[in-house]
Amino acid sequence: MEERLLIMGVGNYLMGDEGVGVHAAQKLMSSGLPGYVDVVDGGTGGFHLLEYFEKYPRVILVDATLDGQKAGTIRLIKPRFASDFPKSMSTHDIGLKDMMSSLQLLDKIPEIYLFVVSIEYIQQQGVEMTEEVEAAMPELLNKVTELAVRLSPETATVTSR
Amino acid sequence: MSTRIVVDPVTRIEGHLRIEADIENGKIKDAYSSGTMVRLLEEILRGRDPRDAWAYVGRVCGVCTSVHSLTSVRCVEDALDIVIPPNAEMVRNIMFCAQYMHDHVVHFYHLHAMDWVDVVNALKADPKKTSELAQSISNWPKSSPGYFSDLQKRITKFVESGQLGIFSNGYWGHSAYKLPAEVNLIGLAHYLEALEWQKEIVKVHTIFGGKNPHPNYLVGGMACAISTDDVSGLNAERLAYVGQLLQQGKEFIEQVYIPDLMAIASFYKDWGAIGGGLGNYMSYGDLPWNGYRDTSSYKFPQGAILNKDISKVYDVDLRKEDEVQEFIDNSWYEYKGKGGLHPWKGESKIKYTGPKPPFENLDTTKAYSYLKTPRWKGNAMEVGPLARVLVGYARGKEEFKMVVDKALKDLNVPVTALFSTLGRTAARGLESTLVAQWGLDFYHQLIDNIKKGDTRMADSSKRNPEKWPDKALGVGHSEAPRGALAHWINIEDEKIANYQLVVPTTWNASPRDGKGQVSAYEAALRDTPIADPKQPVEILRTVHSFDPCLACAVHLYDEEGKHISRISVLGD
Repeated sequence: MEERLLIMGVGNYLMGDEGVGVHAAQKLMSSGLPGYVDVVDGGTGGFHLLEYFEKYPRVILVDATLDGQKAGTIRLIKPRFASDFPKSMSTHDIGLKDMMSSLQLLDKIPEIYLFVVSIEYIQQQGVEMTEEVEAAMPELLNKVTELAVRLSPETATVTSR
Repeated sequence: MSTRIVVDPVTRIEGHLRIEADIENGKIKDAYSSGTMVRLLEEILRGRDPRDAWAYVGRVCGVCTSVHSLTSVRCVEDALDIVIPPNAEMVRNIMFCAQYMHDHVVHFYHLHAMDWVDVVNALKADPKKTSELAQSISNWPKSSPGYFSDLQKRITKFVESGQLGIFSNGYWGHSAYKLPAEVNLIGLAHYLEALEWQKEIVKVHTIFGGKNPHPNYLVGGMACAISTDDVSGLNAERLAYVGQLLQQGKEFIEQVYIPDLMAIASFYKDWGAIGGGLGNYMSYGDLPWNGYRDTSSYKFPQGAILNKDISKVYDVDLRKEDEVQEFIDNSWYEYKGKGGLHPWKGESKIKYTGPKPPFENLDTTKAYSYLKTPRWKGNAMEVGPLARVLVGYARGKEEFKMVVDKALKDLNVPVTALFSTLGRTAARGLESTLVAQWGLDFYHQLIDNIKKGDTRMADSSKRNPEKWPDKALGVGHSEAPRGALAHWINIEDEKIANYQLVVPTTWNASPRDGKGQVSAYEAALRDTPIADPKQPVEILRTVHSFDPCLACAVHLYDEEGKHISRISVLGD
C-alpha cells in the first residue's frame, strides 16, 4: 500500500480561537491536497484518536497554543516528548499529551510535525475566530499544504508499518 | 492544626468540579464538593423538537455520551407511548454493555490504577518473577519474562529522559503504596495493553450507531437497518464482528482486569474500612431482557438501600412527585417557590452568588455549587457500581451473589468491606464481568430474533407529531457507568416545554441540603486518613473510586489558606 500522510486539526470548535486546528482541517478537506493525504478533524478527542496515530507513519498536527506570542503566530515543531505539545484542549483530561506519552511507551509513535498557532484567549465562546487568528489562516493553510506536498510517499525514510 | 485542601479544575477551559477539604489530626474533618461549571442543557433544549433531544444531550460528555442519548430517547418514547421493537432493545443493550466494558476498564487502568500502582517502583521488578506471578493469576498470554523485561526497558528510558509525561502527577515512592515491584510492573503493563484494547471495543458503537463518540440514536428504535446480505446495512459480516468484539472484551475483563483488581486489592484490604460514606444506595435498574417496560426483566434491578441495611430493598418510582426531588439550598439557582422540586416541575434559573473568579476559596457557609442537590424521599443517596451491585445482591439475584461472595471469599474480607472505597472499586470490576457475559447473551438474543425473520428496528408510527397528544409527560432512566441517570420531559404543542436531567455525578457530588445532610462525595471523604498533606494520595483513591465525571487538580493550603502545592487529579 502507498504510504499515506495524515493531517489532523485538533481543538475545541466551540471555543473561538481554540478551534483554529479544527477550522484549518475543515478548510483543508476541500482544498485539493495530493491523493496520499487524509485530513481528519480530531476535535477534542484524546484516546479516541489513538488508532490514527498507529495507522499513519507520518502525521501533520495543527493545534492552538497559549505561548505568549502575538496571536496568529505560526510555528512548526518536531515534538520529541509529550511535554512539547500544547496543554490538553479538552475538559476530559486524557488529552493529546497523554496519548503521546502512551504511544511513546508503546513504542508506536509516528513521525509528527506539529503546527502551533498562537492564541491569546481561551474563554471566548463561539465558532468565530478573532481577526488576528483568522488573518493567519491563509498562511497556515499554505504552510501545511507545502509540508504535505514535501512529504510525498517517495520521501518516506521510515518503513511503512 | 487544620489544613485546607482544594480540588479544582486544571484543564485549559474551565472544568467541572472542585473539592475543598479540611484536614485535622491526619484525617479529613469535613469536605465540600462544588460544581463550578454551568451545563444548562435544560435551557438549550427548551422549544426544540423532542425527537432531536438525544443529539443535544449526548454532548453532555464524550465519555458517557451514549447513555445520555439512550436515556433521552427512552424519555420521549415514554411520553409518546412508543414501544420499540425487540431488535432495537437488544442493540441498545449491546451498546450499553460495550460502553460499560470500555468505561470501566479505562477508569480502572487509566484514571484510578495509579492511585494504587507505583510506576517508578515497577522499574525495580524482576521480570522473571513478574512473569511467574502473572502466570499464576491469569492465563493471559502476554506474560513471558522477555515481555516484561522489554517493557521495563522502555519505561526506564522514558523515566530517564526526565519526561514522565502521563505519569508526571503521581506520588511515586509515597508510603501509602503497598504493592510489590512485580505487581506494579504487571499493573503498568496492563495500563498500556488496556489502551490498545479500548479502541477495539468501541467499534461496537460505530457499527450500530455509525460513529463514536456520540453514536446515533432514534426515537422509536435504532437507526441501523438490518439487511443481512447488503454491504451497506447491518449485514451478517458486521454482526459477526460485533460478536467477536464482545468476546474479546470479555476475555480482557476476565483475564486481565479482574486478576489485576484482585491482586491489587489483596494488598489494600485496609481500604475496605475507609471511604464508605453515606450507606444509602440507589439504582434505577437497566438492561431489560424482555422490554424496557418490564422492569422485572432488568439484569440490573432497581431499588434503594438505606443505612447499609441490605435485608431490605425499597422500590423507586421516578414518577412520584415525593420521591426524587432537587433542592437548591446550597446551589447557585433560584426557584419561584420554596423546597424541593420533582423534575417534571423542575426549574433551572441560575443565580450566582459565589465569589468573583479567580478566587482562592469558596464561602461554604453560603451556596457553593452549580450542582443542585437531589434527594430520594429526603435521603442523600450514593449511585454507581457499588449501589448497583448492592441492590442486585440485596435483591438476592444469583449472578450478583455469585461474584460478590467469591470476591469476599478470595480476599477474605467480611461483607461490610463492601461499604468502602475498596468496595466501590471492586464493585466496578465485578459488574464488568456480569456485563461482559450479558453483552454476549443479548447478542445471541439478537441473532436468534433475526433468524426468526424479525428485522424490525424501529416503530415509526408516532413519527408524525400530528399523532401526539397536545401535552405529554415522560421520564426515561438508565444506569450510566457512573450511576443512576434519568431525564424528565414535558412536551407541549409538539415542542419541549421543560427538560430536566438528574445525572449520577449530581447525586454523588452535590452540595449538602438545607438540613445539612451531605451527599456521597462529602460523606465518603470524611475521616479519610491523610499520611502526608503534601501528597494526599488517599483523597485521590476515594474521589476516584466514584469515577468522577470531571477533570480536577488538588491544591493544598495551610491553615492561613496559603497555597502549598498543587497536583493534577485524573478524572474523565
